[in-house]
Amino acid sequence: MQTQLADFVRDTPDGAEAEAILRKCVHCGFCTATCPTYQLLGDELDGPRGRIYLIKQMLEGAAVSERTQLHLDRCLSCRACETTCPSGVEYGRLLDIGRKWAEDLAPPRSALAQARRWALANLVARPALFAAAYLVGRRLAPMLPGSLVGKIVPATPRGHWPAPRHARKCMVLRGCAQPAMLPDLNAAAARLLDRVGVSLIELRNDGCCGALRYHLNDQDGGRGDAARLLSAWLPVLERGEVEGIVVTASGCSSFIGEYSHLFRDDAPMQETAAKVVGVVRDVSELIAQYSSELAAVLRPPSSQRAMRLAFQSPCSLQHSLRIQGVVERLLKTAGYELVPVADAHLCCGSAGAYSVLQPEISAQLRDNKLAALTAADPVGIASANVGCIAHLGGRTRLPVRHWVEWLADLLPDHSAG
Amino acid sequence: MGAVTEELLAAWQAQIRDAAARGDCVEIRGGGSKAFLGEPARGAVLDTRAWRGVVSYEPTELVITVRAGTPLAEVEAVLAERNQMLAFEPPHFGNATVGGMVAAGLSGPRRASAGAVRDHVLGISLLDGRGELLRFGGQVMKNVAGYDVSRLMCGAMGCLGLLLDVSLKVLPRPALERTVRLSMTLSEALQAMNRWGGEPLPISATCWVGDSVYVRLSGAHAAVDAAVARLKGDVLDDAAQAGFWLAIREQTHPFFSRHAPLWRLSVPSVEEPIGLPGEVLLEWGGALRWVLCEDGALARERASKEHGSAMLFRALHGSSLQRFDALSPASRAIHQRLKQAFDPARVFNRGRMYPDW
Amino acid sequence: MTDSLPGFALQDQAFEVVDRVALIEALSQILREGCLLTELEDLRPWECDGLAAMRETPSLVALPETEAQVIAVLRVCSRLGVPVVARGAGTSLSGGAMPHRHGVLLAMAKFRQILRVDPVARIAVVQPGVRNKAISEAALQHGLYYAPDPSSQIACTIGGNVAENAGGVHCLKYGLTVHNVMRVRGITIDGEVLECGSHALDGPGFDLLALVNGSEGMLLVITEVSVRLLPIPQQARCVLAAFGSVVQAGEAVAAIIAEGIIPAGLEMMDQPATAAVEAFVHAGYPLDAAAILLVECDGSPEEVAEELARVQSVLERAGAAAVRVSRNEEERLRFWAGRKAAFPAAGRLAPDYYCMDGTIPRRRLGEMLTAIAEMERKYALRCMNVFHAGDGNLHPLILFDSAAPGEQARAEAFGTEILERSVALGGSITGEHGVGVEKIAQMCVQFGDAEIRMFHRIKAAFDRSGLLNPGKAIPSLRRCAEGGRMHVTGGRLPYPELERF
Repeated sequence: MQTQLADFVRDTPDGAEAEAILRKCVHCGFCTATCPTYQLLGDELDGPRGRIYLIKQMLEGAAVSERTQLHLDRCLSCRACETTCPSGVEYGRLLDIGRKWAEDLAPPRSALAQARRWALANLVARPALFAAAYLVGRRLAPMLPGSLVGKIVPATPRGHWPAPRHARKCMVLRGCAQPAMLPDLNAAAARLLDRVGVSLIELRNDGCCGALRYHLNDQDGGRGDAARLLSAWLPVLERGEVEGIVVTASGCSSFIGEYSHLFRDDAPMQETAAKVVGVVRDVSELIAQYSSELAAVLRPPSSQRAMRLAFQSPCSLQHSLRIQGVVERLLKTAGYELVPVADAHLCCGSAGAYSVLQPEISAQLRDNKLAALTAADPVGIASANVGCIAHLGGRTRLPVRHWVEWLADLLPDHSAG
Repeated sequence: MGAVTEELLAAWQAQIRDAAARGDCVEIRGGGSKAFLGEPARGAVLDTRAWRGVVSYEPTELVITVRAGTPLAEVEAVLAERNQMLAFEPPHFGNATVGGMVAAGLSGPRRASAGAVRDHVLGISLLDGRGELLRFGGQVMKNVAGYDVSRLMCGAMGCLGLLLDVSLKVLPRPALERTVRLSMTLSEALQAMNRWGGEPLPISATCWVGDSVYVRLSGAHAAVDAAVARLKGDVLDDAAQAGFWLAIREQTHPFFSRHAPLWRLSVPSVEEPIGLPGEVLLEWGGALRWVLCEDGALARERASKEHGSAMLFRALHGSSLQRFDALSPASRAIHQRLKQAFDPARVFNRGRMYPDW
Repeated sequence: MTDSLPGFALQDQAFEVVDRVALIEALSQILREGCLLTELEDLRPWECDGLAAMRETPSLVALPETEAQVIAVLRVCSRLGVPVVARGAGTSLSGGAMPHRHGVLLAMAKFRQILRVDPVARIAVVQPGVRNKAISEAALQHGLYYAPDPSSQIACTIGGNVAENAGGVHCLKYGLTVHNVMRVRGITIDGEVLECGSHALDGPGFDLLALVNGSEGMLLVITEVSVRLLPIPQQARCVLAAFGSVVQAGEAVAAIIAEGIIPAGLEMMDQPATAAVEAFVHAGYPLDAAAILLVECDGSPEEVAEELARVQSVLERAGAAAVRVSRNEEERLRFWAGRKAAFPAAGRLAPDYYCMDGTIPRRRLGEMLTAIAEMERKYALRCMNVFHAGDGNLHPLILFDSAAPGEQARAEAFGTEILERSVALGGSITGEHGVGVEKIAQMCVQFGDAEIRMFHRIKAAFDRSGLLNPGKAIPSLRRCAEGGRMHVTGGRLPYPELERF
């Protein structure tokens, strides 16, 4: 599409990037088909193409009100549209630019809205604070508003973590919300990898990858978190103690994958980021390398019924990382039966802090997703991201767990935990 | 275009304009094979048969363009030479012409699988009620420029214009056709036909008459043979097969020879009999039901209850019943305005579709 | 009896006297909050559909949620003399849903319910905002599908499909929208409900259903559509053939038809098109071929095997350099994915593109492609060609950059020349995308004044004041007169010996 960016932005790095992205868009509208909010609301302004237009007119200098901001806020950043787009429009990046500028150009948000966004960013992204609040929350659940209660899932206690006995070692990201919400996840990954000759180790306090703050439009805060994480990892890598870094939450994996772009205006940091990101892998990519070895060790139960799972591929996995079919193959190789799931490309509505900020849309997407996941009567749901697991788990009687945990269940010494 | 046709066109234009000026009407008539259809004709006859001949035929383009007065049999013979056909299998009922085929809009046994006349009309030229020569559509399969006037002419009973040249999509004849006969009651047949319709079978025609259902399978040898084996039933020999479907298409089957009003009920595909007194013959997977029924009001009521329509196809002499179902007020208003758009002085086939216009 | 032409037939109406304040007041009584957009900030994103080169900001956008609201909105617009442009997903490539600056853009995307799938009668009843592909997805559990599959089927809506009589890659065998829609329920500008067609195979009266299909939103606002569903073929396989020249590929197409084969799909792409989509889809297209053909055979496994063998032998006789048959469903879908993504993939080669949609008799393909190659030089613009070869529908994609001075004008002139050539070769200016606003001038080439007048009379039979989608599809007589173009058919004047009326 033709664009004529306004003077205030034209010569900035954001302007150059936005212009390049906008020119790729041919306005075909394919993206609307896989956009969760457009499919729900049927309003051009709540689909990727409409948001691109809103951003375009804002950067071209048109007046911006809170309505543009509302439509940008309603985007889940699921990036299903990028998977669909035949023209290669990098919508996610344009949206980040749009949100950042809208914060400056639109009238200020209400004090209440600002407080809410600040609280989210600063509570969840701080592991200790979040863990404490989460524990309290579980006790106070009956008194909390619905959108938050839905997030509070029963804890599975952290199981056995094998000692680092192998020469090959990888470091796994603890992250922010995950240790409190899924305490056994990283341990389960460690148990699986231990069987195929890789030891996982954890840093005590690595912290948030930055996605949360960044997607709440605190882009500098997000970059700060990312820089902190990089500086925690770098010495371990440089000492050669581990050969790489594994991330078990696909949401964090995908954000870390964007670090080079995140520091595009800071050459030294970008270099560091590139170095680190080069050895970061989503847990699915690592485990997939040992698929046949694992299959040989795993012991599926005799009941076929117990093996019927519905897999929910998080947007961060299928649309951002573009890892498609990998986890599904792993689960099937291990003996699980995956039931068909309609509209598997649509977001479950979790989307980081979205479920708290846009509770109505989020709840509807979650209900649709759960209906699709449970239609074929599975015994459980497998996912790949802590946010989705918490979001879905609160509203179904079926267990919603990370696929790594489902796999680790099949380890012969599982009962010994 | 030769001098003869040019002269003819000019004469027709003069006749139309003349009639319009005097408030008269003309009856457009080809072979007169479907004179029984619709309301009685009025006015001076305009015989279309002088406007005849194949204008062009491109077998690899799957298109034939013919003048409307050309006998249908002649067109079919030309196509058969290149192993092609009019896929909608139009009935002749005598010396049918192409123009009458389009105006009556009737299709034969293959309709449910291959589509109707209107699905195969690509382009048309006509004289409107002002005597103006108009061309719509063309000789290409896909053409969405302007409103689809060509298809609008199909089944319009000649009320909108005098058809001149017609371009039709043609198709290759199937490599093989086989018909199987199975004994079934009416209810069983309706259920079976609907069930088969939902399966990927190469069915090209179905008919239930007497106590048997006849299923014609057309296509590649392998597909037809496999379907014959699946449906079981008696396989008709070639002559019996050809004879049967010809008799259904041309209504020379004994069913049609009874002395009773023949109602044509076009209804949605439903599995239940409609429950009209009188003998029934089914075609088109049950969507077309021929009923010999003395009680016209009841036929209309039952068809309407099923969200379909009833046409008094062949009336007994002296019947005063309206031939076509009444239109909804909104539709009727649009019909009358369309009639006025094409034929403001109501020159063509006045009263032929509905007595009052 | 009077025989006058409606005013809008003579010249386009201006609609400058629309009372916007009264309109907003009346519509806000009808529509829920958030369903009536009035501020420029909210209106501009609607200014174009899939044809981004042509834009107009609407006066208002209305997003009705019920048929009763549609009726009420139309009555208000009719009373106040306000133009109404209906829009589905906004994927039209001819600007069919481009708004009117003094009008209401009636966005029907909230009508997204599949009301009923009847597996016995093989019919789906859906609201107009339902996506084409969603119908097949809903019918899948019954082993049925909806056959017409325009390239934008993932996003485009059935209401828009009916309005444009959309085609697709399988319409050679399975027909266009008009062949697969049984019934349309719509609202006239007066707010009257009109049902065209039925769930039976025919009915009394004129074939209004045929008239409504492809009427480009000029006659009715569609509120419900019933489509015919077909059994999913047991098997489908696709042959990918590479040719050393486009003419040779064209001859292969004619040879297939001459053999009595009607494949489910028969598509051609030239080298630039192949290269553009290969980068996105990785379909495995041979990049060294001047043209590739995709031939799909479907049916029972026996039938497919038989037809495939015949197709392969015809292709080889026709001089194909390489012939590959899809080995599995995944590969077949990959072969097609490239073709279906061809238009937007043009966005990878240039910031803007014009997609033409002329149809020509198949045998004129060589001539046409040679002419297009000459035009590329003449206008100094690149063009990639994708072609529904089976039914003669050519989609040249003219690549340009609207930011570069003069390029858009050259692209438009290029497109015009292609369309005029299509008509001269005995074809049409549009096979499936519709006239919209884009090809309105070329309508004067394809049709004479007499036909144009009749089109306007037909329009007036539904919409006396010309309020639905004004300025689209059918040019006013003045526009044709000013364009100064002569109407030609098949390279000659029709009945040149006759006096022109």
